[in-house]
Amino acid sequence: MRRLNILIGALSIPLFLAAWEVVARSGIVNMVLFPPPSIVAVAVLEWIRSGQFFSDFGASLYRVVTGFTLGAIAGVALGVLTGQFPLVSSLLSPIFHVLRPIPPIAFVPIVILWFGLSEAGKLFLVFWGVFFTVWLSAHIGVQKVDRGLIRAALMLGTPRRQMLQEIVLLGALPYIVVGLRTAVSISFYTLVAAELAGAFSGIVYRIEIAQQNLQTGQVMGGLAALGLMSFVADRMFATVAERAVWWR
Amino acid sequence: MMQIRQRPDPTLALVPSRPPTAAGPAEVLTTIQVSNLSIVFDTPQGQVIAVDRVTFSVNQGEFVCIVGPSGCGKSTVLNTIAGLEVPYSGEVTVDGRPMQRPRPDVGMVFQQPHLFPWKSVRSNIAHGPRMLGKSRGEARAIADGLIEMIGLGRFADAYPHTLSGGMQQRVAIARALANQPRVLLMDEPFGALDAQTRSVMQDNLLELRERIDATVVFVTHDIDEAILLADRVLIMSAGPGRILRDLGVDLPRPRSNAIMLDPAYIALKKDCLDLIRSEGRRAFEQSTAG
Ligand SMILES: Nc1ncnc2c1ncn2[C@@H]1O[C@H](COP(=O)(O)OP(=O)(O)O)[C@@H](O)[C@H]1O
Ligand SMILES: [Mg+2]
Repeated sequence: MRRLNILIGALSIPLFLAAWEVVARSGIVNMVLFPPPSIVAVAVLEWIRSGQFFSDFGASLYRVVTGFTLGAIAGVALGVLTGQFPLVSSLLSPIFHVLRPIPPIAFVPIVILWFGLSEAGKLFLVFWGVFFTVWLSAHIGVQKVDRGLIRAALMLGTPRRQMLQEIVLLGALPYIVVGLRTAVSISFYTLVAAELAGAFSGIVYRIEIAQQNLQTGQVMGGLAALGLMSFVADRMFATVAERAVWWR
Repeated sequence: MMQIRQRPDPTLALVPSRPPTAAGPAEVLTTIQVSNLSIVFDTPQGQVIAVDRVTFSVNQGEFVCIVGPSGCGKSTVLNTIAGLEVPYSGEVTVDGRPMQRPRPDVGMVFQQPHLFPWKSVRSNIAHGPRMLGKSRGEARAIADGLIEMIGLGRFADAYPHTLSGGMQQRVAIARALANQPRVLLMDEPFGALDAQTRSVMQDNLLELRERIDATVVFVTHDIDEAILLADRVLIMSAGPGRILRDLGVDLPRPRSNAIMLDPAYIALKKDCLDLIRSEGRRAFEQSTAG
C-alpha cells in the first residue's frame, strides 16, 4: 500500500505533463494560448541561452531578498519594542494597526508617484508587505513570553539589556519565526505587484512582456520559474526555522 | 518615579495582628524582618486584601516553613520578600535593607521550575553567575559543581524539556543557589510533583540543607512537609492572610522522611491539625453568619 502511494506520487507530475501535452496537441484547444510543455521547455531554454534569464532572476531575487531583510529587521526591532514597552506600544501600535490591514498591493499607485519606476519603489513595496506581518508576530511573541521566566530571570539579577536579548527575544523567537515564514510568501506577492507596475527586468516583468507579444510558452515558463523560486525560498526558510528554534 | 505609599484602609483593622516575634539571644542575627505587612490588590471586583498586617522575622540560617490553605496569601508574602511585590503598607527588610526590587542575594524557587527552555541544564545554572559579571569559565565551574551536587551529571548538556518534573525542579534549585544567596525562598517547589518524587525531593533538600548556610523560607500547604523540613512553622489563616501560630520544631537533625513515625513528630502534627481545624470552623462560621 505504501509503495503504491510512493509510485503514484512519483508519477503525478509526469502524468500531468503528458496529459497536458496530449490535450494541447490534440487540436481541442488553441495551441497559441495553451502551448504544450515541450514548447514551454523550448521557450525556457531560449530564455536561459539568451542570458536574460539570469539578469531577470537576479533582479527579482535582489528585490525579494533586500526587501525581506529590511522588513524583517525593522519588524523584529519594532515588534520587540512595542511588545516590551507599553509606552512605545501606545505610541506606535494604533498607527500600525490602521496601516496593516490595507493590502500592500494597493500601495502600488502611490509608490509610483513617490518613487517612479525606480528600484527603491519596488524594495519599498516588498518591505511594506513584510514589515507588518513580522512586526505583529514579534509584538505578540514578546507579550506571550512566559511571565514566570521573566520573574526567574529577575531573581537571578538579569539586567535590562540581557533580559531583552536573552529572555524576551528568545522567548518570542518561535512566534517570530512563524511570522517570518508567512512573510516569505508575502514578499513574493508584493514582488509581483512591484514588477507588474513597471520594471526593466525581473521574472514577472519578463512574463508581462511575453504576454504582450503573445509568447504564451514564455509566459508559462516565467510562471514555472517564479513558482520554483518561491518554493525553494520557502523550503530553505523551513530548514532555517527548524534550526533557529534549536532547543526543541 | 514618585511612589505614593497609601495608608491601610482602617476597616482592615478588624483583627489585631500578632506582635513581632520576640528577639532571641544577642548573637542570633535577624536576616528577614517582615513588619506589619499588608498587600492589597486592585481587581475589577474591587480591592482584595491578600495579606493583612503580617509580622514575623527569620533568623540567620533558619529554615522556616509557612503553611496555610491555598489563597491565604503565602505566595504574596514570599513575593514581597523577593522584591517582586511592593508592600501596600508595612515593610520587609533582608539584612536590614528594605526589599524594593529583586536582589541577587535573595534567590527564589517557584512551584513551576521556569527553566529557560533554550538553555542547557548547565547554562541555566550558570545564568545567574554570568549576570553578576562572572566570566564564562567561572560560571561554568560553579554550574558544574552544583550539577554534581544535585546528581544530574549525565544531564549537564540536556535541555529542560527532556528532563522529568523532579529533575527540572532540582535544576531550578541549583540555579537559585548558583548566586550563593543569603536567603532562599521556595514557593511550593514540590507541589506539582507526584507523592513519590516529592518525598525523594524532600530528603534531597534535607541533605542539601546540611551543606548550604542560606536562610530558607519555604511555603507549602502540606503540614507534613512543613514539620519535616522546618526549624519553625508559621501557620497562616485563610484569607485575608494572617499568622495564626509560630511553632518551633524541635526534632533532631539530620532528618529524613522516616521521622514521620516519631511520636514527637506526631504530637506536633496533631497540634497543627487541631489549630487548622478550629480555624477552618471559625472561617466557615464567619462566612455563613455574614
Ligand atoms: N496579582 C494579583 N491580582 C489580584 N489578586 C491577587 C493577585 N495575586 C494574588 N491575588 C489574590 O491574593 C490572595 C492570595 O494569593 P496567593 O498569595 O497566591 O495565595 P497562596 O499562595 O497562599 O495560595 C488570593 O485571594 C489571590 O486571588
Ligand atoms: Mg501560592
